Formats: sequence, structure tokens, C-alpha cells
Amino acid sequence: MTEKRLPLAGLRVADFCWIGAGSYTTKIFGDLGADVIKIESSTRLDSLRMAGPYKDGKPGVNRSGYFADRNTSKRGITVDMKHPKALGLIRKLIAQSDIVANNFAAGVMEKFGLGYEDCKRIRPDILYIGMSMQGSLGPQRDFRGTGSSIAALTGIQDLSGLPGNVPAGTGTNYPDHLPNPCHAAFALLAALRHRRRTGQGQCIDFAQTEPMLSLMGPTFLDLTVNGRLQQRRGNDHPWMAPHGVYPCVGSDRWIAITVATDVQWAALVGVMGSPAWALEARWQTLPQRHRERQALDALLAAWTAGQDRYDLMRRLQAAGVPAGAVQDAHDVTREDPQLAHRGHWIRMPHAEMGESIYNNLPFRLSRHTVQPQRGAPLLGEHTREVLGSLLGLTESEIDALQAEDLLK
Amino acid sequence: MSATSTPSTPVAALEGLRVLDLSGAMGNYAGKLFADMGADVILVEPLQGSELRREGPFIDDQPGTERSLNFAYQNTSKRGICLNLETASGQALLRELAAGADLVLETFAPGWMEAHGLGYAQLVQRRPQLVMASITPFGQTGPYADLQATDLVALATGGLLWMGGYQGVAPTQAHGDQAFKCAAMYGAVAAMLAVTDAELSGEGQQVDIAMQECVTLALENAAQTYDLEGVIRKRPLGDQRFAGYGLFECQDGYIYLGSRGIGNSPAWSRSLQWFKDAGMVGVDRLFGPEWSDLTYLKSEEAREVFGDLFMTWSRQRTKEWLYTEGQKRLIPLAPVSTPRDLLDNPQLRAREHFVPFTHPLVSAAAEMPGAPYVLSSTPWRLQRPAPGLGQHTSEVLAEIGITRDEVARLHAAGVVA
Repeated sequence: MTEKRLPLAGLRVADFCWIGAGSYTTKIFGDLGADVIKIESSTRLDSLRMAGPYKDGKPGVNRSGYFADRNTSKRGITVDMKHPKALGLIRKLIAQSDIVANNFAAGVMEKFGLGYEDCKRIRPDILYIGMSMQGSLGPQRDFRGTGSSIAALTGIQDLSGLPGNVPAGTGTNYPDHLPNPCHAAFALLAALRHRRRTGQGQCIDFAQTEPMLSLMGPTFLDLTVNGRLQQRRGNDHPWMAPHGVYPCVGSDRWIAITVATDVQWAALVGVMGSPAWALEARWQTLPQRHRERQALDALLAAWTAGQDRYDLMRRLQAAGVPAGAVQDAHDVTREDPQLAHRGHWIRMPHAEMGESIYNNLPFRLSRHTVQPQRGAPLLGEHTREVLGSLLGLTESEIDALQAEDLLK
Repeated sequence: MSATSTPSTPVAALEGLRVLDLSGAMGNYAGKLFADMGADVILVEPLQGSELRREGPFIDDQPGTERSLNFAYQNTSKRGICLNLETASGQALLRELAAGADLVLETFAPGWMEAHGLGYAQLVQRRPQLVMASITPFGQTGPYADLQATDLVALATGGLLWMGGYQGVAPTQAHGDQAFKCAAMYGAVAAMLAVTDAELSGEGQQVDIAMQECVTLALENAAQTYDLEGVIRKRPLGDQRFAGYGLFECQDGYIYLGSRGIGNSPAWSRSLQWFKDAGMVGVDRLFGPEWSDLTYLKSEEAREVFGDLFMTWSRQRTKEWLYTEGQKRLIPLAPVSTPRDLLDNPQLRAREHFVPFTHPLVSAAAEMPGAPYVLSSTPWRLQRPAPGLGQHTSEVLAEIGITRDEVARLHAAGVVA
């Protein structure tokens, strides 16, 4: 493998993002070589710094593992944006940046004097992305919320879980973690291509509701074409059976088993040792199995309950049946041989947290090493470095700004 | 035709990029992201059609090659050809097409492309800047490389399934094949990064995307919580995680109320003022020092007291009313929307999020989600509906110099359709 400069080396991001989806977007850019400068302030902390887990369970602005994972490969500076001198300083940074990113509520950047039109005057080819919850245009642009609101508002919450029960969703703020960061990164990379070809920058108005809807297109078409309002359906599949999550030996231990063909069914029956019930005529074709899937699930679950989930996964996969142990945080970080093989979990040092765990990005490139460049910045860690070497301020000028309480 | 610009059509960000999309359910959405931004994406299907053509929902619930709404949605803006890649002639045609492509997107099992004379090493010889993005369940190498995964199996092994659902019963899946979508989303980002690099350096490369690994990016803080605090996050205890925070029933469904959010939030005091102003019966019970103690808020008593008071009140009110009134008071409250709610959502309407769905077999007006992002100079835009089976075979083959007679011969020989 020939090591080359990383794909985004030479690119600079003035990163006003905080909390969830925004920070995860710019992290991708940092991990791939861009100089991402995260602009924070102790006067209005990125609330993820005060969201657990913390090193040793002890809260602290530099101790959150959640914050760290979303802010790898960035440099961090602190500037009090409400200070009268803040704008002048930040304008210097934007003049040397390719991308300005934020996920504040709509209008906040404009109040700072850093809306798209302002930034364009500083740097005409700037790429600007604003990722508020509902976008910068529209009657509800000022409605507020967090990742949990977005999961509720976009329908993924309503549609996931058991029918007749309260909607379960994914148990996480799913849109924050992949739908929004990935769509934002793709849009920025596309806009960067346009800039390379034409020299033109542009503004990306990104509503954190819309990518989640884009991911559920067929669900909407079922409604607008067929008139069917889809509902929660547990682990049922439209045509596969069995298709479910079945208990295994141990407390709260489960395996996912999915059977798409009669051949896979025969293989599953073989792994079970061909019990009499499974050989009955009523289970031999896919439509029959699907029609009576509830009864089938109960019979299958009674058998899996005596099996070890990993051993059963191995036996079913060897027989050609897609199956997988339901893995928890311990399992994926400490037990899974495939994620270990791919080097997914990275341990990096950190001045206050020592060594802790980070996700790697979930792809590998043949000509570049994909991994975070370094851990997350301490609050204000690179303020002097960035103001000095990048913005050309002298030590005494920086001291003066510090004394004026600008750099906090 | 490849995308051309006229004065009335803004230039597209990915104009001039040629993508061969050989993928199935794990990759079609990635190809759509490229196509809707202006790339010339050619969907390469086997003669019997893509696997997604067999996935519902179907128009009028009738299965059929041209009736899958799933296929129609995930393949907008693409052209489509049918090639039999099991034949030497089919493979030669694909190599010819790849010689003019920037990106090959594929989801075959590891080794399949090489075994069919289509490995990256072969394709790159004629096209140094070619990128090949390969999406597989577990990756190209490693102990699980040859295992199979459906969406549910990837959710399970990637750790997200464990977190969804209810305690005491089996975990439940995320709606809408989200493991496939995780793979496709990161597949598109990774492919676009490699294309960026190829355009800068002139050299392409291989991209190895693993669906299971993509799913692990959805675990929120679960891995760090285990690593730093030794705690394994579980499925939530109930709908109300602590008093004032979670899902609550209302007249026509559920709402999410985030009266206690991450860190210190003034939402609690605003909520109390609202309940008081709105005359909620028994609201006085919510005033008192214990309500600012997180341990108390997590207690069963606090959750019960809040839930009883609030839902007695909220069951008389609609999602929409609660959402609008709550937002007026700067309270993070959101409806638990159904797809129908979303079609009527005034904000999405004002943003013209939904776009017309056109399909030869659908005569009534219908809509689907449109732009996931609004770019000022190079907007997202549908180029065309998803291709019919083999719709552009002759057209695309003509572009690499295959005559009409030759196409007829290949057709008869079972190489193209």
C-alpha cells in the first residue's frame, strides 16, 4: 500500500458545530485529513462535554467519552462569541477556511454576524452548511429540539417497536449518528467538487429532519400510492419466515435468525436435528411459514432457548442460514472477532482521560490508512497555537486578548 | 444522455461523473445519492432484474418486475442496463464500461468480482482513476468475511438491535432496513472521498465498506459508556426515562417531551409555567425541591406522579396542539409523527420536501421524499424515474460503440436484456 496524503489534507473547516450530528459530520473531515478547528466557549459549553460517560465516572469538561468520540482529529479553540472583538478574530479564521459548519438553531450565526452572506463577503468561495433542526427556511424554522425530538418528529420512533405498545424507536437518537452526519458529509463533498471545477462556493441549508425521511422513501410510497399507513411490526418481515429474534442460553441473550428460501429452511431444520414438528407439511413452503409465523416463532424459540447464541450463529452460518448473535456493548468492543480484525475500535491517549475507546470510521481505503488523527481537543487546547501560527498573532497580542476575556 | 445543463437547469455538483452501480439492497441508496446530485449512474442489473425489484411494497400490492416501490425509490435518476455477468461477453462489456467510469459500486460477496474477471486489479489497468467501492455484510477479509447477513442480522451483530425495544422481551428492529441504509450512507461518503482523491491525484483505489461496522456507528455512547464506566447500556426501562422526559400519550397518538435534556435546561421551569397557565389539574404537586433532584426524577414515584398528571391533561389534547403550544414556550416537545402526519407537516410542505412520484404504472398523483439537503448553486434534482428493466441497454452500449445489430445478437445469446 502506498501511503499518500489524506484525501482531505489541505482543507480547513471553521467548525461551530456542537452536540450531536454536526460534530460527527466534521469529525469525518478531520479523520480524513482536513484541519478542523472547533470553535467553543466555556461561556456556552458544548453540552456534550457535560454528557456522560466520563472517565472514572467523574464529570468534567475534558472527561466525556461521548464528546471525545465525536470530536477526534480536531483542533479546539475557545472564543466568547458575545465579546465585541470575537467577530474580528473569527473573520480572520474564516478568511483562511474552506468550509464553515454549524448546527445552531436557525438565525444564531446571523446574530453573530456570520451568516452565509457575511461569510461570503469574507471569502467568496466559502462552502457554508447550516444544520439546524428544521432548516433555515419555513414557518417552523425556530422550533427547537434535540436528537430525541428528531427521532420522534421524523417517524422512525413511531414505526419501530411492537404493535399496540408505546413506540420504541431504536433506543437511541438514530438520526444524529448516521443519517444526518452522512448526508451532510456527502453534500459537502459534492459541493467541494463543484468548487474545484468552477471556483464557486455555496450555501447548504440542511434540516436535520429531512435525511431520515429520505431513508424511508418506500414507507411513504406505500401510503401515497397504495393508501397504506405502515405500522410498527416488531421483527416481522414482509415475506421472510422465520425472521426474528429468539432467546438463547443466558440472561437477556438472543439470536437473530432469518430464512428467505426453502433451502435455508431445510438447512435450519437440519441444524435443529430434524425435530418432528419441523418436518410437518405446514412448514415446508415460504408462504405457509409466513402465514403461520407466530406459531413458528414460538416453536423455534422453544428450541433456541437451549442453545448458546455464538455457537448457534456459527452452526447456522456454516449451513447457509443468515444468523447473528444480538451483541451488546461488551460483545462488540471485546468479543467480536470481525470488528477486531478490521481495527474498528481505536484506543487513543488523552491528557485527562488517559487511554479510551473511539470508533473508527466504518470503511477502509486501499491507498490510505483510515483512522482518527488524534483524540478530542481539551477545551481551548489549541487557542494559542491557532491564533499564533494560523492567524499570525504575536504572543503579546494573544496575551492581551486573553486579558480582555475574549479567549474563554 | 449524460447530464447536460441548459440555462433553466442549474449545473449539477456531480455532473460528468460516471458511476456503474452493480449493487443490490445494501448499495442502491448510495447510487441514488450520486444520481440525484447529477452523476450519470448506470444501474447494472442481471437479466432477471435487481434483487430490490422483488422487495415490496408493490404497486397495488401486486409483485412484478416493474412494480416494486422500493426499487423505484432507491433507483431514481439512474439509467438501467441488463448484463449477464456470468458470461464472458457480459464481463467484457462491463470491463469496457468500466474503462470510462469513475466509480464502480458493488455488493457482491468478497471474491465474486475477481472470479468473474472484474476484480479491481483488472479494471484499473484501463482506468487509473477508477474507484471501486465494495459494500459487504462484514467486509472483504476477516473471520466473518464469508458470512451472510440480512438487515436484521447486521443490526444484531452491529449492536444496535440490542438497544431497541422493551425490557423483558426480545429486542426489536429499526424500521425501514436501516442496516442496509447505514451501509449505503457510509458507502456513498467513502466512495465520494475516494473519488475526491482520484480527481486530485489521478489515482483511484478500492474502498471496503462493512455493513456490520457501519451499524456500530449508531451506538451513540454505548461503547464509551462500557469502556469508561463499565456499564452496558440496555433497552430503556419504559417510555418515560425520567420524570418529564420521554414519550407520553395524547389524544391522537404520542408526543416526545424533553423537559429535562442533556445538561442544564430551563425547559422544566418553562413547562411548569405552561401547565399552570393551561390549568393542569394538580400541577402544584410538581413544585418542590425534589423535582430538581435527578435521583428523584428517575424514581418510579416521580415518573408515576408526572405521568399521571401530565397524561390526564395531554390525552385531551392533540399532537399538533401540544407541539405548537409547547414550541411557543420554547419547550423541546415534538410529535411522534406517523408518515401521514409528515405528509401534512407545514414545515416540510413549506420546504417543498415531498416531490411528485412518477411511474408508468401509477396514474394517480403520488409523492415521495425529495431533497435531503438544499444546495444553493447545485440543487438536488431528480433526473428521471427509476429505469425499467433493460430500458437503457441499447443506449448505453451504443456509447461504447456496440452497434444495434450487435446488441440484437447479444440479446439473443442471453448476454444482455
